[in-house]
Amino acid sequence: MKNVIDVKHLTKSYKSNKAVDDLSFAVKEGEILGLLGPNGSGKSTTMNCILSLLKFEAGEIKIFGKEMAPDAYDIKTKIGVVFQDVAVFDELTVYGNIDYFCGLYIEDKAMRAQYVEDALKLVGLEENKSQYPKQLSGGLLRRLNIACGIAHKPKLIFLDEPTVAVDPQSRNNILEGIKKLREDGATVVYTTHYMEEVEILCDRVIILDHGKIIASGTNDELKALAKIEEKVTIEIPDLAPEKLAGFDKIKNVSEVEYDNGILKIVYRKGKNNLIDMMEYLKENKIHYNKIFSERPTLNDVFLELTGKELRD
Amino acid sequence: MTVSKAFWKITAKNIGTIITYSIILIMFGSMNMSGNSTTVEYEAVRPNIVVFNHDEERGITKKFLDYLGENADIAEGYEDDDELKDALFYEQVSVVVDIPENYSQDLTFGRKPELRLRSSAGYVAEVSKAMIRRFVTTAESYAALSLSENVIVEKLDNALKTDVKVEVRGAVDASRYAKATRYFSFANYSILACVITIICLIMTSFNRQTIKKRNLVGGIDIRKMNRILLRNSCIYSALVWLLYVVVGFIVIGAESLLNMHGLLYVSNAFVFCIFATTLAYFISSFVTNTGAVNGIMNVVALGSSFLCGAFVPAEYLPEGVLAFAHVLPSYYYIDANNKIMLLENDNFDAIWPVLLNILIVLCSSVVVVIITNIISKKRQKIA
Ligand SMILES: Nc1ncnc2c1ncn2[C@@H]1O[C@H](COP(=O)(O)OP(=O)(O)OP(=O)(O)O)[C@@H](O)[C@H]1O
Ligand SMILES: [Mg+2]
Repeated sequence: MKNVIDVKHLTKSYKSNKAVDDLSFAVKEGEILGLLGPNGSGKSTTMNCILSLLKFEAGEIKIFGKEMAPDAYDIKTKIGVVFQDVAVFDELTVYGNIDYFCGLYIEDKAMRAQYVEDALKLVGLEENKSQYPKQLSGGLLRRLNIACGIAHKPKLIFLDEPTVAVDPQSRNNILEGIKKLREDGATVVYTTHYMEEVEILCDRVIILDHGKIIASGTNDELKALAKIEEKVTIEIPDLAPEKLAGFDKIKNVSEVEYDNGILKIVYRKGKNNLIDMMEYLKENKIHYNKIFSERPTLNDVFLELTGKELRD
Repeated sequence: MTVSKAFWKITAKNIGTIITYSIILIMFGSMNMSGNSTTVEYEAVRPNIVVFNHDEERGITKKFLDYLGENADIAEGYEDDDELKDALFYEQVSVVVDIPENYSQDLTFGRKPELRLRSSAGYVAEVSKAMIRRFVTTAESYAALSLSENVIVEKLDNALKTDVKVEVRGAVDASRYAKATRYFSFANYSILACVITIICLIMTSFNRQTIKKRNLVGGIDIRKMNRILLRNSCIYSALVWLLYVVVGFIVIGAESLLNMHGLLYVSNAFVFCIFATTLAYFISSFVTNTGAVNGIMNVVALGSSFLCGAFVPAEYLPEGVLAFAHVLPSYYYIDANNKIMLLENDNFDAIWPVLLNILIVLCSSVVVVIITNIISKKRQKIA
């Protein structure tokens, strides 16, 4: 598959603060790439550099195989951007806003009217189209922000934390919408610090910290880095110390932690571990309320690689 | 295309502002606040004048005293200064003339001696001063030909006889234009309000960092976009001008505007609209928040209208205020309207002072454009 974006050795500093540090990566045609990282890790800065909104000290950026520049209008017409901050005109209606931003790219009136309707449908704002931004709730405003960025059906879409402050219901709608855009043939770069979103949405993930790539790959590839196979959590109101010691000896168990009536067990390898665990609990007549098993999360990957949590 | 559309949509959203200021203009601009009736009869124009002659009563001075006696009522019995001041304030006396020593002789030898004039506020005083100016300029122009005192007096006799008739007509005409001056001077407020509000609102919207970023990544050249915005701003200001000209024709009456005076009023207003546009651009070069636009507009429009005499005739304002007003283009715009009112003939010499005022406003616009460019260049560097 072709590379839609090629970033090589991108470096950008704000005074002495290196926001992006020798970053190189590529985005393939038709994929959804997640840029994941904690606050201040350089996600927005990377995006703004790629879009030629910021000057950078070093590096090379190619989009659709061509050098990106502030006046590369042929490239810009094929890009759609949804910025982290809502950018809409307060004086224009929902429809008027989408129509305006779409009009920056699409001259043809009939075509634009169709595109605006499509965008309204995609973000579910059909019923609000004659309202003004001030009349919209925070979540609806975010959806309008997205519609404004993607109405012209761009081939390449950048979304910078589009779901911040959006309730879970709306967030799912938005994520579904983005998947639809990809199905229609768009390539997506999705920036977030919500690992759940990345897991649901992205084909490939780049994890950033302090402006550097600390890991990249598919969800499964990344999770392998966490060196955790499975995490089991059991609620046991009171567990005798001698029985706690026994958990260590169960097959495949590598870490045991008991605190406040919650027992956490980490497996680094093996399959069907939960069944062994249940048997042990039954044999030893240990009473428990709840038990569940999880696959490792990207947070575990981040923790493994940096020694800190992704979210503070 | 899409930029123009957004421009006019935002304008349409704020149409209420334009209507409000137009109504204010129609209401107050056509009202007479100066205290003088706009339909002054010629009889009423015959002003009261106090004369202190320090020269001998002969030659040109004698001629001057006769001339004043013919065109005004010479009031007697004012001796002390306070009394005079009160009389001027209450408009019992329009002008106090002090004729200096050797006036006739100095004038003859082209030394242009100065009369000391103290005048009351308002229209009658303006007419009186114009009447006095006429005598002085006519006499000075003969003196410039190196004629003898006697010949000058003779020539003045003839020249002023014909001129007196002009004086009569001039007085009536001036009162006829009082309404137009009132309207167009008040328009200072409405033009500034309408032009600044809309253009600043639109420019601050487009200049907002978030919107700017999105426009920058859009498939359109940002410089081209700025040009489109500028073009539409100019069209908008021209429409505001047109609106107020049309409203003016209705309120004032077309018959007093379809002539040289009308042309000057309308041109003066047009140049002032150009200035208002540049001022709006200047304001939006540093205002980033749409909420601040209204506040600034009020300070600028209300402030300049008060200081420069759009609401209250300038003569009523304290001298310090008036001195400050001289740095504001609004002053020259309103002053031009006053001068147009008192114009008596259409020759270039008469019109020149008005054109000069219009030119000053035009030059101010150029200065504002230059300052705005410097500011926005500086801001671009920081960004
Ligand atoms: N305009 C700026 N001036 C100075 N420093 C900046 C500026 N913008 C960002 N930075 C710094 O650059 C670094 C990267 O910031 P960036 O906004 O790219 O992070 P981010 O990953 O997008 O964070 P968030 O999740 O909060 O949006 C941070 O240390 C930040 O303080
Ligand atoms: Mg960010």
